[in-house]
Amino acid sequence: MSDHATLLIELGCEELPAASIQPMAAALAEKLQAQLKDAGFAPGDTQVFATPRRLAVLISEVQKQQADRAIEKRGPAVQAAFDAEGNASKAALGFAKSCGVEFDQVGRLKTDKGEWLAYNFTQKGEALSKQLGPLLESVINNLPMPKRMRWGANNYSFLRPVLWLTALHGDELMPATVLGLNSGRSTRGHRFHAPAEIELTQAEDYAEALRSQGHVEPDYAKRMASIREQVLAAAATAGGQAVVDEDLVEECAALVEWPVAISGHFDEVFLEVPKEALIQTMKNDQRYFPLLDESGKLLPTFITISNINSSDEALVRQGNERVIRPRLADAMFFWQQDLKTPLGSLLPSLKTVVFQKKLGTLHDKTERLVRLTRHIAQQIDADAVLVERAARLSKCDLMTQMVYEFPEMQGIAGKYYIYKEGESIAVATALEEQYMPKQAGSPTPEGIIGQILAIAEKLDTLAGIFGIGQKPTGAKDPFALRRASLGILRIIIERKLDLDLHDLLSTAQQALADKLDKPEQVFDALDYALDRLQGYYADQGIDRRVVDAVMAKKPTRPLDFDKRVHAVTAFLQLPEAEALAAANKRIQNILKKADAIGEGVDESLLAAGAEQTLYDTLLTTEAEVQPLYRRGEYEAGLRALAGLRGPVDSYFDDVMVNADDNAIKLNRLALLQRLGNLCTEAGDLSALS
Amino acid sequence: MAASTTPHDVKTFQGMIAALQTYWSEQGCIIQQPYDMEVGAGTFHSSTFLRAIGPEPWYACHTQASRRPTDGRYGENPNRLQHYYQFQVVMKPSPANMQVLYLGSLSALGFDPLVHDIRFVEDNWESPTLGAWGLGWEVWLNGMEVTQYTYFQQCGGLECKPVLGELAYGIERLAMYIQGVESIYDLVWAHTPAGPITYGDVFHQNEVEQSAYNFEHANTEELFHTFDVCESECQKLCEAALPLPAYEQVLRASHSFNLLDARRAISVTERQRFILRVRTLSRAVAIAYAESRERLGHPLLRNTTPEASDV
Repeated sequence: MSDHATLLIELGCEELPAASIQPMAAALAEKLQAQLKDAGFAPGDTQVFATPRRLAVLISEVQKQQADRAIEKRGPAVQAAFDAEGNASKAALGFAKSCGVEFDQVGRLKTDKGEWLAYNFTQKGEALSKQLGPLLESVINNLPMPKRMRWGANNYSFLRPVLWLTALHGDELMPATVLGLNSGRSTRGHRFHAPAEIELTQAEDYAEALRSQGHVEPDYAKRMASIREQVLAAAATAGGQAVVDEDLVEECAALVEWPVAISGHFDEVFLEVPKEALIQTMKNDQRYFPLLDESGKLLPTFITISNINSSDEALVRQGNERVIRPRLADAMFFWQQDLKTPLGSLLPSLKTVVFQKKLGTLHDKTERLVRLTRHIAQQIDADAVLVERAARLSKCDLMTQMVYEFPEMQGIAGKYYIYKEGESIAVATALEEQYMPKQAGSPTPEGIIGQILAIAEKLDTLAGIFGIGQKPTGAKDPFALRRASLGILRIIIERKLDLDLHDLLSTAQQALADKLDKPEQVFDALDYALDRLQGYYADQGIDRRVVDAVMAKKPTRPLDFDKRVHAVTAFLQLPEAEALAAANKRIQNILKKADAIGEGVDESLLAAGAEQTLYDTLLTTEAEVQPLYRRGEYEAGLRALAGLRGPVDSYFDDVMVNADDNAIKLNRLALLQRLGNLCTEAGDLSALS
Repeated sequence: MAASTTPHDVKTFQGMIAALQTYWSEQGCIIQQPYDMEVGAGTFHSSTFLRAIGPEPWYACHTQASRRPTDGRYGENPNRLQHYYQFQVVMKPSPANMQVLYLGSLSALGFDPLVHDIRFVEDNWESPTLGAWGLGWEVWLNGMEVTQYTYFQQCGGLECKPVLGELAYGIERLAMYIQGVESIYDLVWAHTPAGPITYGDVFHQNEVEQSAYNFEHANTEELFHTFDVCESECQKLCEAALPLPAYEQVLRASHSFNLLDARRAISVTERQRFILRVRTLSRAVAIAYAESRERLGHPLLRNTTPEASDV
């Protein structure tokens, strides 16, 4: 008989909240493994299982017996261990007693901090069967969960009521009592297909027993894979392409133990409604997978993931078709109601909706957006008339019934309504695009009107909230300003718009005018926004030092910032980069310490050799680099700097900057400053070392 | 699962209610009658809200008319009404097999769980006006929400110990499903010697008239006044240690608020304040009720075995 075996722990529950299933099962596995390790049971790998009704883990190679452990018990300090007569004090005797030995068996422990009584002994390892119970209890009671609840007439609390506990080590039952449950060697199958207990011979049989006898797929990833596969197959049968949203797959896997895809239909008349509203209804309310045809048009078919092999699947289908019908009918009703009123006529009603108490109504915001978009359009030669029209209509759909019922339709609803009224596709699309990018990594607006409106929309919020002294602190960001500011920067950078953030904030500040009680704080948003770029570039794998080097220059044109970042990144690849960076660091340090620096370089004071060579090289490099910088060709400019490396190195080898002659010293510092300026023009190269 | 051989015709609205009552009385619930005042949900019945408070056990079931003035559609929407029914079951302490008992009730209505897809989907319930919250599920039957299932954790701001388990069935929905009709008004209420009587026969005119009242005629000035009066009466009655009449003032205030809401007489910011006012009253009533039961010596503890009450 081996001295180790696989350990199975399963906690059976009433249906757990979908979002908690995976994190809780993972935490159970991780914490249990860690505690077993600490306790000396040398656990191997974990295999996590999670369904709506169970959290489970298999841990391989868990020792039957805890390793023996050398324990050093520290007692009172030696000064406190004896009384004036040199007899053992009460504390000392107490310590010996607590160790279960006579006082003369107690030793000493001396460190540089003092001396203590100490007792060393070997603690005999205990059996897993003895230790597991308390250990499991503490792990389960300390699992992180969003909200605990109580049930019945007891004091236990967990995410949902618990039903059974399985604890097997190899083929041996491990006694444990957790949340009022005594451990057993049985699991339970599917609530309806296999409600009886399934006794396990040994821990390793767990997953297979559930699959073959229990009608349960305990592995979360396997259920997800099965759902994906079944949805695609059902879609193919229905002659369409399923929109397989991974989040939805994941959620469905949390709602079933035995996924079975079933497709259903709805009346084609509903297809008149914007497909986003229908898709949202299907996904959010019903967790259905929508189907599209090859051209991306919605089909009147959906796929649902049921939890049973129904003996009469048609009834499940019909049931689901019954549910979706009134919901789609609602969406259609809102669509048709809204179409009775031109979108623009809703503009005055925006006066009744508060955007933010100090920043006024949505109507006020609209007025500001008109002003901001006009300004931005002028900067980049866009069609100001179209942009203004989009801005004026941008918030009107918030007053439609569609958006009231389906908040995620904001922007999208507006797009459909004005397009149907005959507006150009460019203006209509801008209404949807104003809310882009929706999250990190998601696309920025395609169209120029959408880009301008999206920038203005976010800029007004950013400047407004900063200007009333409510800039985000810590983790609190109720107006999602992190997302807004990164959104602005991403649109500008990724869509290559020649805009200046300082100028934009200043325009926004003017538009907000009297609404702001701390107008000067608007410009704090500049650093705040630029700080977002650290994460942005980190996600692209760009060296943090590069971003620091550019940040030191505080370029306020995001596009310019971006060019510099890429130039400095390229520079960093040059063989001369490290040496030049180090030299620059040295130059910055020297200049920092200097009391005075000469005004300009006096050529007559230059020493022949390394200093003269450096100066000559500096002149030719300046002549080459500066026009490049002026044209924003930072990469070429930085490349040209590489030629300075040799002369700079020789200079520091041969020349003493702090010369005895003060005039020479000041002149040398002036030369270094000029050199330093050239090297920090695109980005502070000293930040690279 | 307890098999219930029911003589009731679940294909009628009244037969379905009778089947549920029979089933739950077999599980030890007393059959109560609806509360005789306007309430927004079954939870407002004193059998739930007040009985959830304190240590005494309570098993009961009943139908409850729910009034949601803003949901009025003048009888024109086949799925939405301003007056409809919930079938309410409360079990305190919630039994360990409550889910199984619940599934038994669906079987009693003729739903075979190996045919229909029945699921418990997370839904956490909170009533801001009652200062109450609980965790549980909405129960899905082939994707349709048919029951709200909640383990009460707090009521009127007081911890629920033991926990009351609440089931609120949307019975019109279930009946439409069982009867296979597309409009609530087409539901067969009962077969009589004179022919079938439909839900529409019983309630359509009521929906039309009450919708008109809710949206057009309700006297807002009077309702604001009623709200204020109820508020001060409730406070006085709590001080007088009369929590039951005090609670009725809460119900009246709450319904006045719902009507004002339907008349759009309450702005968004004011809305929050009104909710808070009702919650303050609910809390006061909850505390007064807990004290009154204590003064009475928690009479219902007499039937409990010592272990069961050992909480």
